[in-house]
Amino acid sequence: MNKKTNTMIILLFTLVSFLAGRWAGNDYLLSVLILIAINVLMACSLRTIFILEQISLGHVGFALIGAYSSALMVMKLNISFWLALPLSGSICALTALLLGYPFLRLKGIYFAILTFMLAESLRLIAYNWRSLTGGQFGLTDIPGPGTIGLPFLGTIDFDTMENYYYLTLMVVILSILVLFFIEKSHLNVKWRAIKDAESLAQSVGMNAILHRIMNFVIASFFAGIGGALFAHYQKGLSVEVTSRFGIMASIYLLVYVVIGGKEKFSGPIVGTIVLMMISEFARSFEEYRPIIIGFIAIIVVLFLPEGVTGIPERLTRLKQQLKKG
Amino acid sequence: MALPFQVWVQIIINGLSLGGLYVLIALGLTLILSIMGILQLAHGEVYMLGAYAVYYLAVKMGINVYAAILFSMFLMAGFGMLMERFLFRRCEDKVLSPIIISTGLTLILQAGAVIVFGLYERSIPRLSEGSFELMGVFVPKDRMVAMVISACMAYMLYLFLKRTKLGLGMVASAQNPQAAQLKGIDPHKMSLLAMAIGSGFAAAGGAMAGSILMLTPFMGTLPLVKGLAIIVLGGMGSLSGAVFGGILIGLIDGIVPVLFGPLTASLAPLVIVIIILLIRPQGLFGHE
Amino acid sequence: MLKIKNLSKRFGGIQAVTELDIDIKERQIFGLIGPNGAGKSTTLNMIDGSLFPTTGTIIFKEENITHQRPCSRAGKGIARVFQKDVLFSSFSARENIKLGLHLHSNLGLKEIFFPWSAISKKKDRILDEKAMEILKFVRLGEKADEMAINLPHGNQRALGLGIAMATGCDMLLLDEPLTGMNAQETDQMMEMITTLRDEKNLTIVIVEHNIKAVLGLCDQVVVLDFGKKIAQGDPDMVVEMPNVIEAWLGAEQDAV
Repeated sequence: MNKKTNTMIILLFTLVSFLAGRWAGNDYLLSVLILIAINVLMACSLRTIFILEQISLGHVGFALIGAYSSALMVMKLNISFWLALPLSGSICALTALLLGYPFLRLKGIYFAILTFMLAESLRLIAYNWRSLTGGQFGLTDIPGPGTIGLPFLGTIDFDTMENYYYLTLMVVILSILVLFFIEKSHLNVKWRAIKDAESLAQSVGMNAILHRIMNFVIASFFAGIGGALFAHYQKGLSVEVTSRFGIMASIYLLVYVVIGGKEKFSGPIVGTIVLMMISEFARSFEEYRPIIIGFIAIIVVLFLPEGVTGIPERLTRLKQQLKKG
Repeated sequence: MALPFQVWVQIIINGLSLGGLYVLIALGLTLILSIMGILQLAHGEVYMLGAYAVYYLAVKMGINVYAAILFSMFLMAGFGMLMERFLFRRCEDKVLSPIIISTGLTLILQAGAVIVFGLYERSIPRLSEGSFELMGVFVPKDRMVAMVISACMAYMLYLFLKRTKLGLGMVASAQNPQAAQLKGIDPHKMSLLAMAIGSGFAAAGGAMAGSILMLTPFMGTLPLVKGLAIIVLGGMGSLSGAVFGGILIGLIDGIVPVLFGPLTASLAPLVIVIIILLIRPQGLFGHE
Repeated sequence: MLKIKNLSKRFGGIQAVTELDIDIKERQIFGLIGPNGAGKSTTLNMIDGSLFPTTGTIIFKEENITHQRPCSRAGKGIARVFQKDVLFSSFSARENIKLGLHLHSNLGLKEIFFPWSAISKKKDRILDEKAMEILKFVRLGEKADEMAINLPHGNQRALGLGIAMATGCDMLLLDEPLTGMNAQETDQMMEMITTLRDEKNLTIVIVEHNIKAVLGLCDQVVVLDFGKKIAQGDPDMVVEMPNVIEAWLGAEQDAV
C-alpha cells in the first residue's frame, strides 16, 4: 500500500485542485490557489536536490531568474508566452550548469551557504540593474498568455484568473509528473547510491559530480518554470527584501519540504498545501503568521523528523510496539 | 582611479568600520560552526535583539550606552545558551535540523519584534559625539569607536582561545571532537560556550550598528548574508579567515559601490567567492 | 600491471608520502604494510584516484592514469573495497551487487527512464542472475534480499568485496579487509581473496597495518614508515628485518 501513496497523493492533488478551481468562484480564492500550485512545484523541485542530501537555501534565486527572463522575453523581445515559459526554465538550467561545478564541490552546510548567497546576489542584481529590470520599481504590466484557439476547446482567454489557474495547474502537474518519473527512473537509483556512499559509488564508476550537477540542473529548470508562472500571474515583479524573491521565501520553501516530509515524493506537496492553508486561515492575524509557521517548523523537526507524510509509518511502528507489549 | 584622495580615505574608513561589524558577526557564526558543526541562521535576529536591548536600556531606562551594550551582550549570551540547551542539542542531525530550527526561530523572532517593537525606525545614542580630522577628512568619532571596539573584541577572543585552558579546550574540540572528548572536554559545555560567545558578539555588533545606522526588526538579515559570505570566503571554520574575510567584504562594500556602481557591488562578493572556490575549494584559510 | 614511480604527496607542510616506487605484477597478492600514519591510506587513495599526487606517476596496464578520477579508473579495471563506506546502506544485498554491475550493464536511455518496459525487465533479469552468481561466491546467496545495513559485520565486508568484483575489475584494492572480524570470518575472507586470484586471475593489493595478519596471504609486501619505503620482498623475510621490527616497536612506544 505504501508504494502507491505517492501516486495516490498526486492523483488526489490533481483532482482536488481542479475541483477547487470550479468551487473557488472569486478571484481572490483563485489567486491563493495559483500561489499554492506554484509553490507546490517549487517545493517539489527543491526536494529533488534533497535526494542527494544537499540543501539549497537559494531555490527562489532560480525562480527569480525564471520570472525575469520570461517577463523580459515577452515584453522586450516579443516572444510568445508559450515559448518564453520553457525558455526561461532552460535559462535557469544553464545557470545551474555553469554554477554547478564550483558549487557542488562543496557539500552540506557550505553548499547551503553558497546557494543562500546566490539568491541574495541575484536579488540585489535585479534591484540594481535598472535598465533591464526596472530596479526598485520592478517590472509592471507583464502581459499574460493571451487568447489562443485550441482544438476541441475553442478559443480560450488565458488572461482571466480562472483560466490562468487551470493553465498553471496543467504546467505544475505536468512538471510534477516529470519529476516523479525521474524519481522512479534508474537515475534516482544512482543518486541514492551516491548519497549512501559517495566514494564507493565513484569507485564502481559513477561520476558523482556529474550526477550532482545533473540533479541541480533539473531542479533549477523547474524552479525557473515556477518563477515564470508567477511573473505572468502577478503581472508585476519587484525585488524588495520582503518580496517573493527575498531570503524568507527560500526559507518558507525549505520549511514546506521538511514539514511535509523530505523522504517521500508527496512530502512537499502535502507540506506546501497544509502550511499555505494554515497561513491562509490565519489571515486575520496577519502579523502572527510567521510565528505560527516558525513554531510548527521547530516542533515538527524536534518531534516528527519524518514530517507529516511520515505519520502513517510512525503509527504502524507504534502499533507493532504495542502488540509486542 | 581618478577619485580625489579624500574620497579614498573616506570610503576606506567606511569600509573598515563596516568590516569591523562584519567581523563580529562572522566570528560568532564561525565559532558556532566550528564547535557545534551547525549553521545558526537566527544569528541575525540575535544581533537585532541585542540592538533593541541596548535601545531599551539606554534610551528608556537612561543607562550609559557602554554599560547597556555590556549588559545586552550578557543577556544575549544567556539567550544563546538557552537556544543551545533546548533546541540545537536536541537535533538528530547536524545539517538540516539546525537549519530548519534556526529559520523557524528567525520567523518567530522577526515577527515577534514587529509586534513588540513596531515597525518604526529607532536609534541608539551615538557612541561618541562629533568628528575628528584624519588626512584632510572629517571622520565621525562613533565609527572609529566602533572599529576600535570590534578590533579589541576580536583580539580578546584570540587571547582567550590561545591562552586560557577553556579556550584551548574549545580549539581542540573544534579540531577533533572525539579526541577532545577522550581528554575529558565536555562537548556540550563547549557548545554552550560557543553559543554564548557568538551571541554576545552578535549583540555587540547589533548595538554598534544601531548607533551608526537604524534599528528595525529586519536589520538582522543583511549582516547574516555578509557573515555567511565571509564564512565561505575565509575558510570554513577558520577564525583568522573570518577576520580577514570580514575586513575584505567590508572594504568591498565600502569601495566598490563608489567606484563601480551598485550593480557591480551586488555581484562582487559572489564572483569573488566563486573564483576562490575554483582555485581553493577549502577557502582562503581552510585546510585540505 | 601497476607501476608507481617516484610518487610523493604533501599536505600543507606535512610530507605524507615520499618518493615511492612500487611495481605490482599481474596475479600478485601484494601487501602494502605499515604502522598507523605511515602513508598507506594516502598511497591507496592515489592509486584509486581520490587523491592526486604532488609529484610522480602511476601507470596501469601501460597507461598513465596519474590524474584520472576514480570513476574513470573504475572503467579501466581498478576497484576498491573501502574501510568505511563498504556498501550502499539503503539497498538490499542484491541491489548492492547490481550497482556494482552498472558499469557493464549497458543501460540505454530506455532502461534508465523506463525501468518498467519489457526490454528493461529482461536486462534486469540478466543482471539479477549475474548478481546471484557473485552473491553465491561471497557466500551471501541466502541473504540476497536482506537490507545491506542489517547484515552482520563480516557479511558486510564480504558484500563490499562482491560489489568490487561486480565491476569486472582486473585489480582489487582492499583497505584493511580483515579488521574487526572473528577467526572464522577472517579465514573465509582469506580464502575468498586467494580464490579470486587463482580462479578469476585478479591482481590484489591489500593495505594492512597488522603485518602478521597477511603473512600467509601475500606474495610480496612493501613496508612503509613515515611515508617512505623501508623494506620490500617476501613477507616471511621482511618480518625478520631489524628496521621493520624497529618501525613497529617505535610506533607502539609512541602509542603508549
